[in-house]
Amino acid sequence: MINLFHLRHVDWLDSQLIYHVLPRLGQEGLIILAPSSPYVCIGYHQNLEQEVDLDYCQAHHIPVFRREVGGGAVFLDGNQIFYQLVLHKNHPLAGGSKADYYQRMLQPVVDTYQELGIDARFRPVNDIITAEGRKIAGTGAAEIKDHIILVGNLIADFDYETMTKVLKVPDEKFRDKLFKSLTENLTTIKREKGRMPTWDEMAEPLIRNYQKILGPLEESPVTEVIRQEVEAVKHSYLSDDWLLIKRRDEKHRNIKIATDVNIIQHMHKAPGGLMKANYELKDEKIQSLSLCGDYFCYPADVDRQIERILEGRQLDEAAGILEEYYRQHAIETPGISPSDWAKVISG
Amino acid sequence: MATIEGFNFPDELHFTADHVWVKLDGKVATVGLTQFGQDIAGAILYVEAPNPGRQVAKDEAFMSMESGKWVGRVKAPVSGKILESNGELEWESDMVNKDPYGKGWLTKLEISNPEELNLLYKAGSADLAKLISAEKQKYNK
Repeated sequence: MINLFHLRHVDWLDSQLIYHVLPRLGQEGLIILAPSSPYVCIGYHQNLEQEVDLDYCQAHHIPVFRREVGGGAVFLDGNQIFYQLVLHKNHPLAGGSKADYYQRMLQPVVDTYQELGIDARFRPVNDIITAEGRKIAGTGAAEIKDHIILVGNLIADFDYETMTKVLKVPDEKFRDKLFKSLTENLTTIKREKGRMPTWDEMAEPLIRNYQKILGPLEESPVTEVIRQEVEAVKHSYLSDDWLLIKRRDEKHRNIKIATDVNIIQHMHKAPGGLMKANYELKDEKIQSLSLCGDYFCYPADVDRQIERILEGRQLDEAAGILEEYYRQHAIETPGISPSDWAKVISG
Repeated sequence: MATIEGFNFPDELHFTADHVWVKLDGKVATVGLTQFGQDIAGAILYVEAPNPGRQVAKDEAFMSMESGKWVGRVKAPVSGKILESNGELEWESDMVNKDPYGKGWLTKLEISNPEELNLLYKAGSADLAKLISAEKQKYNK
């Protein structure tokens, strides 16, 4: 029988370390908890200094953590209830493809949202969205030792403002775009239902729905063995060696809001000057494009015109549209060709 | 070149049950993910390769890859010392998907126990065909 660790609000660090140590102890389990204080959590392959505004976090006493699970940087707090499922790779439910695994093991979360009166659904590969297409859960997975870890959350409420402040962004314009995109594409139970759900309203159906596929769960406290292991690994997970692991140095900024929504900034050094493009890419379509740089254009509003003609167009159409635009208009952009515009947009 | 269930397995390579290939050149083993392995992994967004000089043991999880917010581990097919990792994958991780037996190679290591190669599958063997057929069913491919 799989253990259920229904822990409610716990120390923020425990909210991460318990599921990290279970596979090292060879234990399966379903953990339901929330952090008692907020923190920022980055994905395993991310570059902390590049993703997170560490000065802001330090000034506001917001700790940071690098998880072994994939995905991007997120602001986590007690208004999100987390499920962390640790299954041995040979467990009958752990077989098949990643896509199948996500779909199978996120169904209890979808069912829970349905019971809360929200018409949520699974969208491959690993999103849970509302009928209107807004994301309403974060999910990720990892293989640690011989176990598969699935983590995710039910979002009762979300602090959009702090999320946009803890992330490192190139400029305020980008931050505004990020905030707008987050509020438009990420929703919460509170927003959907007009009130905050209680813990039990979320946890009770979540546990019951997981029991439907996992079988009966045995409620367990955090044992002394787990506690000792948490203490043993704590130092290494908080060390600079772990937090500041150097990953690839991104030339561009790309923040994933949902599977098909990204906030992007690209820079490109063309012979005629430095160019910068900010936009939202939604379903491969360019939205809210803004172009700037130290280039010269005649007429002076060429960049504004390009923003307009590319609005709502497919990203892979951009190069052709720009070539055509240059052919049909008397435009002078010394040292900036249509392909430079295409390059700063496409990256 | 052997083809099993529509996936290619070059004759000169050895394979693990975890879908890693090994190409031996003297004492140097080049390691990568098979065409089948990259297919079940999905679009690879990140590759974390080991640093040169590191000693790895056979079956040790020695590098990671990420696709669909899923961090998967790659196990060393043989023991040895890392000589070089494919730095290009830092920028073009999708090479593992596009060219798994070529530009998508992962790492090179100096093998410390040549006997371990005997534990791997050989292209064209019945064992490999059986493994891939079973895996194809398991992964619904």
